[in-house]
Amino acid sequence: MSLLSRKGCNSSGLGALYECEAAQGKHVSLETTGSDPSERERLADCIEQIAEAQSRPAFAEVFEYFAPRLKSYLMRLGSDSSSAEEIMQEVMLNVWRKAGQYDRRQASVSTWIFRIARNRRIDTLRRTNKPELDAEDPMLQPAPAEQPDITVNRAQLEVKVRDVIETLPEEQLVLLKAAFYEGLSHSEIAKSFGLPLGTVKSRIRLAFMRLRGSLERDH
Amino acid sequence: MGKATINDFGEVYSSYAAGCLDPAFCLLVETQSALRPEVARAVARAETIAGVFFETEERAAVSAGAMDTALAMIDAFESGERCETRTQAATLAGEGLDELLDLPEPLRETALTSFQTNKWQGLTQGIRRLKLDAGSDAEVELYRIEPGCTVPKHSHKGSEFTLVVSGGFTDESGSFGPGDISLKGPNDTHQPTGDMDGVCYALAVRDGGLKFTGVMGLIQRLVGQ
Repeated sequence: MSLLSRKGCNSSGLGALYECEAAQGKHVSLETTGSDPSERERLADCIEQIAEAQSRPAFAEVFEYFAPRLKSYLMRLGSDSSSAEEIMQEVMLNVWRKAGQYDRRQASVSTWIFRIARNRRIDTLRRTNKPELDAEDPMLQPAPAEQPDITVNRAQLEVKVRDVIETLPEEQLVLLKAAFYEGLSHSEIAKSFGLPLGTVKSRIRLAFMRLRGSLERDH
Repeated sequence: MGKATINDFGEVYSSYAAGCLDPAFCLLVETQSALRPEVARAVARAETIAGVFFETEERAAVSAGAMDTALAMIDAFESGERCETRTQAATLAGEGLDELLDLPEPLRETALTSFQTNKWQGLTQGIRRLKLDAGSDAEVELYRIEPGCTVPKHSHKGSEFTLVVSGGFTDESGSFGPGDISLKGPNDTHQPTGDMDGVCYALAVRDGGLKFTGVMGLIQRLVGQ
């Protein structure tokens, strides 16, 4: 087994894809495809409306934005179209169910929904069927409250990470994405981008130092 | 090899954030993040980076009736059609349960679930272990070490990651307290003794005799070498 669980992680050909895009002068930048601040506010409003009023129009808006992205993410990880759609539906139902737990001070909606999808994926990696505990049993209750300093950091994190990522050089951005979003190990990245392992490590380290430096200056 | 240090541009947090880390190590990362604010921050950073990239994800065409399906699932959920498997935690009462309730999540839930099928196994005086079902091919065990008691000297076929959850232990490579991870390679032997300040609980993840591709490099990065 490998520490990086590769079951269903479709990692082949990613490097080729990026290199091809770079050669055509395309940018994998966030401005072209990412959401703008007003859109992010709007999505956070929607989640709150789902939590407070069980608003179906608000859910429909969230669904329209995220369902296609979720399906694409799941297919990238190796699901076929129909099972990707099935898992996407489960994730969206969880968005409805967990809307009350969403806190806009802690995370953007995309980070929150991505975590739900990510946790769903980790569950599929757990091969055994363990008996489910009743989550509402009072014996099992003490909720792991997020510590206040972490809550503050989460809010700042969203803004800072976005700022820094938007200004990263392309060569660092694509590697950061391969590691933190595609989940590739550094040696897998080296192989698929055709780069020496040391170059991959130093570029990821440089990108990360900028992220962290920017966060710590403000503390 | 000794204590693991936080290396948050390393593969552990990035592959965790992306959902590609083995479930046994997910349990290790999540439990350590409940004990150590700096680990919680490393995880939060990695998840935030992943979330920002998620916004740039392509849009795959969803089927024509997808929205109707979603709304029907919500209707079913709201009308309580969902069938829940409810096991009574109360029936879990038994030796060792009370102490399991004090473990940090998500280790607590994993231990409680595993306790339904596995029992504490005594090794030597004051040393017990509970096999945990983390849904991984790796061996995952919770150790309970009483103060002053010593785990028999042992070596490992592969690598062993041991996270101290409460209390502490000391071995040839040093002292380990809550949140510390001890790393042992295939050639290391050790003989940990529980510290005197209370019962020590530790989460051990081992690759056993299984093939652990490329993990030695990963361990070295984890210890900051």
